[in-house]
Amino acid sequence: MEFYLLATLALFAGIIYGLIIGIIPAAGATTGLVALFPFIVSLKSVDPYIAVIFIVAVVASSTTGDTFTSVLLGIPGANSSAATMVDGFPLAQQGKATYALSAAVTTSTVNGLIWGSIAFLLMPWYYNFIIMPPTEGGIGQAELFVLCILAFVTVSLVSNKFWVRSILALSLGVFLALVGTDPITASPRFTMGWDFLIGDGASKGISMIPVIAGIFAMPEMILALKNKVLTSTRSATNHTQQLNDGIKISFKEWKLSARGGIIGAIVGFLPGLGGGMSDWLAYGQTVATNPNEKIPFGKGNIKGVIGPEGSNNAQKASAFIPTVLFGIPGAPFAAIVIGLFGAIGFELSLGTDVMNNNLMENSLFFDSLSFGFLASTLITGVICLYLMKYLTAIAYVPYKYYFPVILAFIVWATYTAGFGVYGFENVFLLGVFTVLGLGMRKWKFSRPALMIGFILGDKIEMLGMQFFSMFNIGGYPLVKLTEFFSGKTVGNGRIAMALRDGNDVLQHPVFVVVSVLILVVLVWSFVSKGKVDYS
Amino acid sequence: MKIKSVAFAVATAISTMAVADIELMSPQKPGSGTSVWANIVATEFAKAPALQGENVVISYNPGARDMAGPNKFHTTKRFDDNVIMISHGGNGISYVQENVKYNYKEYDSVCHQNLNIIMSKHKGVNENEGISHAAGSGMVPEGLAIAMMIGGPGKTVDEYIDIFTDKVTWINGLKGSERHLAFTRAELTATRANPAQYIAKVQPLVDEGKVTTWLHHGILDIETGLTKDDPNYLGKRFEDVFEAKWGEAPSGELYSAYALIHSWRDAIQKALWVNKGNPNTAKFRQACNEMANNPESIAIFNKKIGKYDWVVGEDGNKTIDVLHSLITKDALTALVKFNKEALGLNSVYKPEMVSGEVVTTTSETKEGFWNSLFK
Repeated sequence: MEFYLLATLALFAGIIYGLIIGIIPAAGATTGLVALFPFIVSLKSVDPYIAVIFIVAVVASSTTGDTFTSVLLGIPGANSSAATMVDGFPLAQQGKATYALSAAVTTSTVNGLIWGSIAFLLMPWYYNFIIMPPTEGGIGQAELFVLCILAFVTVSLVSNKFWVRSILALSLGVFLALVGTDPITASPRFTMGWDFLIGDGASKGISMIPVIAGIFAMPEMILALKNKVLTSTRSATNHTQQLNDGIKISFKEWKLSARGGIIGAIVGFLPGLGGGMSDWLAYGQTVATNPNEKIPFGKGNIKGVIGPEGSNNAQKASAFIPTVLFGIPGAPFAAIVIGLFGAIGFELSLGTDVMNNNLMENSLFFDSLSFGFLASTLITGVICLYLMKYLTAIAYVPYKYYFPVILAFIVWATYTAGFGVYGFENVFLLGVFTVLGLGMRKWKFSRPALMIGFILGDKIEMLGMQFFSMFNIGGYPLVKLTEFFSGKTVGNGRIAMALRDGNDVLQHPVFVVVSVLILVVLVWSFVSKGKVDYS
Repeated sequence: MKIKSVAFAVATAISTMAVADIELMSPQKPGSGTSVWANIVATEFAKAPALQGENVVISYNPGARDMAGPNKFHTTKRFDDNVIMISHGGNGISYVQENVKYNYKEYDSVCHQNLNIIMSKHKGVNENEGISHAAGSGMVPEGLAIAMMIGGPGKTVDEYIDIFTDKVTWINGLKGSERHLAFTRAELTATRANPAQYIAKVQPLVDEGKVTTWLHHGILDIETGLTKDDPNYLGKRFEDVFEAKWGEAPSGELYSAYALIHSWRDAIQKALWVNKGNPNTAKFRQACNEMANNPESIAIFNKKIGKYDWVVGEDGNKTIDVLHSLITKDALTALVKFNKEALGLNSVYKPEMVSGEVVTTTSETKEGFWNSLFK
């Protein structure tokens, strides 16, 4: 009885904390969990399963909380809601904040529940799928490479109508992603001698938080403060009508919502892709599949809210699968979750629980995970819809009153991301990216394009190196292509490796399907060019 | 009453954040290999009677390819008597061939685990016809071992480099668990694992008959400076497997480079350090000794990491002396050459590292504008 009481307390505490941390600009599950690390670890002495429920509740509710600042203030909470902002914020400026938010929350909640249930039900079978040979329909390194390319190409649709500037922004994003450690030489790359930018050697040198806060959040805040624009253009009327309309439209556009959910689930489900791209990918497909809209995307089209919101909770849910089973972070927050679970006694990568027994056979652990995620997703959705009238009130408060508070939170979130080693450096970068964001906004360079380049740049580089060294196409070893660039003959042993059975990518069903999709989307993107009026 | 426990936990957390009695500095983010090990150690270490219930907390210090934490310890934290630096094998490799600020000669060993790395390959794979393995700066010993296993005895460093570039597909960008998945799917034909990873991820494949344990790098014997067999994987020491294949033991410059770099990585694969002159050194060593002899702790380490001894106190310092004695001019030259030309790594030959010469801390090297700005 006492356990259930504590579990409920932990659930609600996690929901409330997650909502708050989600609403704080630039913060999100990652920042929130890092900030409470010692507290969560100390919960182990109470009951480690209580800590599991708390952690999962923070993750699930922060995703929904993210949406509020994106829509209401035009500043994303964390990367999971940046795409929602593109159409959500214009809707809020048109006095339709409740409409946008209720559609977003409903879509997000429904997809979170569906994909959360599927993810936790599928967990026992996931291992068999993920080790399935690519020739039998499994996903290997070649498939991950083309999936990343697909995301890159699809999201190019998000580029604004000034497509040359979008390509420049995309290129800058890719360059920023490559700052850090050269994966071949293990030496610093584009770091200007600054140790901070070397990173951990396994991921990009510049962390996500100062980039997203500087590029998206700070420019909107500064301009809103300067121009005092937000309050005068909004209307608080018809709240109930908007709430109902938002819920209705999210069900009416169920196909769009489901597609977003599927995209989010796949991205979270696949180990090694990371979660940052799922909402942009979902937004890209929304734009691509709705070519003749009366309201242009970027100007307050509700479909631009439903698409990405379908993906973000689904992605969070399915990201738990590779995280729990293999200790592979399925999203940025998942790396912290792995650390926290380890600190409270659940060694995900070693597969043992607090009693040093096999974690996979611990049903209470999996029950705590699924209960924590599903219950918090549902309760968060209900709370948000019920309290929306009050939560949206912030949109009608002049910026000057809460600008200092939000600024303090952003700086805190950015500092925390440096783990106390590089906190000041991160805050410095926040300043740099704020200037960049202001410039991009003024001169209409696509900020989403920069973000996608930044999210995917290093992944495509890594997966590309693997693709061109490990596989062949129809008997032609791709490693031979490197001879054109290096001028050195590739050794027989390396060619033999690329020609091994199962390494012909034309015999990989998923590779072939995704490659065809890339071609289709590529042609489409050239024909349609930029479709989104947002920079 | 658990409600009271919650209140106690909150109070503990607040006090923990305010005052940390003993700080273990992990060089990685939460969830990474060494941080996972640190979690286990922190729990068991805190049980030692010598610490009299003092609080043990972990601080996470990721960055600069895991060099930021040890660098931070060296430049700012080592004079704090309650701070213990954790290092891993990669820090040992970087120390030998990169410009770092930390300097093991200036620290006292509290204790360390002389662990091992085990290499496996898929059944039926003949390395002489070609082999694929994940790349990375921490994989240098594996690269050297593969080159020698394919090339056999009596080759020059240049010949080994040619053999490696001809036969070995050295794949970049595969992180820990992704590497294991790629190996499980047979996209990689060979891989390596530390003892904990081996138990969790490779042993099941061996049991299924898909994979064979190829070789391991052995355990450094600080009395002789040579490696001895690992009781967990008897008969699979690199030297033994090499001799079984080629009829004679490995030797030559590249073998010296191999002995040097795998020892620097594996002999201090997981280690605790304090600054020389730290007044708490004896207490920490005693606590480590108590942990290493606590049956409950031993059972946990055995299950999660394998049966490996702890090296406590002065033996730890002796290990560092032995490791420095392995750094000869020929070995270091061969190592840097192989790294650059076969593995593509940007290794640095540091003449001051060679045995018999004065070892100076590289913190005196030029800092650069940005590092100085945020110093």
